[in-house]
Amino acid sequence: MEREGYVTDRAVATAVHLSMTLGKPLLVEGHPGVGKTEIAKVLATVQQGDLIRLQCYEGLDATTALYEWNYPKQLLHIRLQQDGSQSVAAQEADIFSERFLLKRPLLAAITHQGRPPVLLIDEVDRADEEFEAFLLEVLSDFQVTIPEVGTVRAAARPSVVLTSNRARDLSDALRRRCLYLWIDYPSLEKELRIVRTRIPGIDERLAREVTAFIHSLRRLKLAKVPGVAESLDWAQALVALHATHLDEELVRETLGCFLKDEEDLRTVSARLDAGELAALSSPVA
Amino acid sequence: MSAVSADLVEHTARFCRRLRAEGLPLGPGDTLDATRALGSVELLDREDVRLALRTALVKRVEDTPVFDALFESFWGGSAPVSRNPPVVPPDAEEKESEGRSAPPRRRSVQTWQEVEDLAVPAPSSREALGRQDFSTFRDDELRAVTALARRIARRLSARPGRRWKLSRRGDHISLRRSLREALKTGGELSTLTYRRRKLRRTRLVVLADVSGSMDLYARLLLQFLYALQNAFSRVETFVFATRLSRVTDELRAPGYRDALGNLSQRVQDWSGGTRIGESLAAFVSGWPRLVDRRTVVVVLSDGWETGDPAVLDAALALLHRRAGRLVWLNPLLGSPGYEPLTRGMQAALPHLDVFAPANDLQSLEQLARHLSL
Repeated sequence: MEREGYVTDRAVATAVHLSMTLGKPLLVEGHPGVGKTEIAKVLATVQQGDLIRLQCYEGLDATTALYEWNYPKQLLHIRLQQDGSQSVAAQEADIFSERFLLKRPLLAAITHQGRPPVLLIDEVDRADEEFEAFLLEVLSDFQVTIPEVGTVRAAARPSVVLTSNRARDLSDALRRRCLYLWIDYPSLEKELRIVRTRIPGIDERLAREVTAFIHSLRRLKLAKVPGVAESLDWAQALVALHATHLDEELVRETLGCFLKDEEDLRTVSARLDAGELAALSSPVA
Repeated sequence: MSAVSADLVEHTARFCRRLRAEGLPLGPGDTLDATRALGSVELLDREDVRLALRTALVKRVEDTPVFDALFESFWGGSAPVSRNPPVVPPDAEEKESEGRSAPPRRRSVQTWQEVEDLAVPAPSSREALGRQDFSTFRDDELRAVTALARRIARRLSARPGRRWKLSRRGDHISLRRSLREALKTGGELSTLTYRRRKLRRTRLVVLADVSGSMDLYARLLLQFLYALQNAFSRVETFVFATRLSRVTDELRAPGYRDALGNLSQRVQDWSGGTRIGESLAAFVSGWPRLVDRRTVVVVLSDGWETGDPAVLDAALALLHRRAGRLVWLNPLLGSPGYEPLTRGMQAALPHLDVFAPANDLQSLEQLARHLSL
């Protein structure tokens, strides 16, 4: 995984390894911005399979997650066949065949040809509970019954990664089907490696200062705690500004890169005024 | 890959049993997974073993500390000490202690003097009165309660859900069906078929405390239970003091007087002491299929627990996880100056979605808001 630019630790590596060898879905939980989604992307690269992503949201239903008929195409087809040479039954069988099926992520993953793909079900906690129950059905045997076509079974079981931000508690039934991984904010050292790997051109001193600063921020009580994604964004921005080290003014100008809440901005500015954070951002030996 | 010896399988199974005893929700399938997981890591490396077992057996981050502690004691030995500190989010430990530990740190009201200071009805210290006579009621009271129950029932019934069904009219066109129909007319969409949301069916489970300390409110409470049971079909009613009794069928009677007659025959421990925890635990284990995500569970009690608050804590935690919503109605909450300091209430509070008063009709009126999912 390291080769693909994903700095990992043993817990993550073990979980991914087991999910592949045991063929069970992996449920990844953690704070926003710690790289949950990234796991699926790297897994796809490692397995050289396609990544199929289902982004969950409230109100997501089967027609967006599983399949839908391609109505305009069906309508056109009927018009073209209007000479009456075909019986109604034959026509019906025709337009409700696989050619007229729009495959949404779940069906796409099941019918995928070639190397088994990686199915990423992102932010499953955002979909409602009924959808979760429906998802369980699909994940347990990777087959789907479409009334007009019949039962579609997966040729090769896709690897499945589910992520959750814990917006609500997932059901025990879903948890039982999955292997589980909790990703915490990385250690200072690990985050530094992440910054260095993802932003190759970064000045060594700057990288240290940025990660140290973000780490000290995580100890404050903020509404939106900056994740690794924010560290990377900020470091990227600083590199673009040709900075080689942090100073108070630079921090003030770029606060918006890693603080996404007005209240937080005020808290941190106050700390800066008091000169508290400046000391914290000094390079770590 | 290394083969897993029979000894190790046995040992793993024992480990899973111990975790289960600690409250982790594990089934036989998980034991199997754990064994398979061990088969695919380096067994000589203790950290590998720990991570493999943790990935397979811990299903939520709150359970990590329990797992780590048990792993240390169970697979202990001179093997290398774990290098990574256990991954615990900052708030997990708090939840942990709330959820499981014994409750000595909770403030509680225990002496009778304190009870009197609170100026609220005390839990029954007198003998249980046995069968009680609830037959004194005024017709207009009953009518008001019935009207309220109907309003609540209306709110509970008509809510569109997620699934669709076909219908002749509606605001969404079902293209799938309409196109099928259009085949008959050569692709001309002459009749449209619609679809609409299936109605979401909320179920209600009411668990009412009828112990001595609730006597003051018993009249209102029983009328309410009766009215609700007869206004709404998907409601299950239970009453408890020291034991739990299902009274759904007893309450379904043509008249209030009949229902009361049925009740007094069925329920033996009116006005006795209170064992809320044990009663709720009996509900959880006795009627596990009754509660799902579409169920609102309402507990009607003053929280005067004479049993072990840890039992109450565990039962409520489970209910909270299974139910769509967990509501606790406390008649005392309506009295000025009351604070939920009883041991029972203290154990219950962390698990509740709604904690509201229920001392008179007005407060029950408010209840309707909390009941639709």
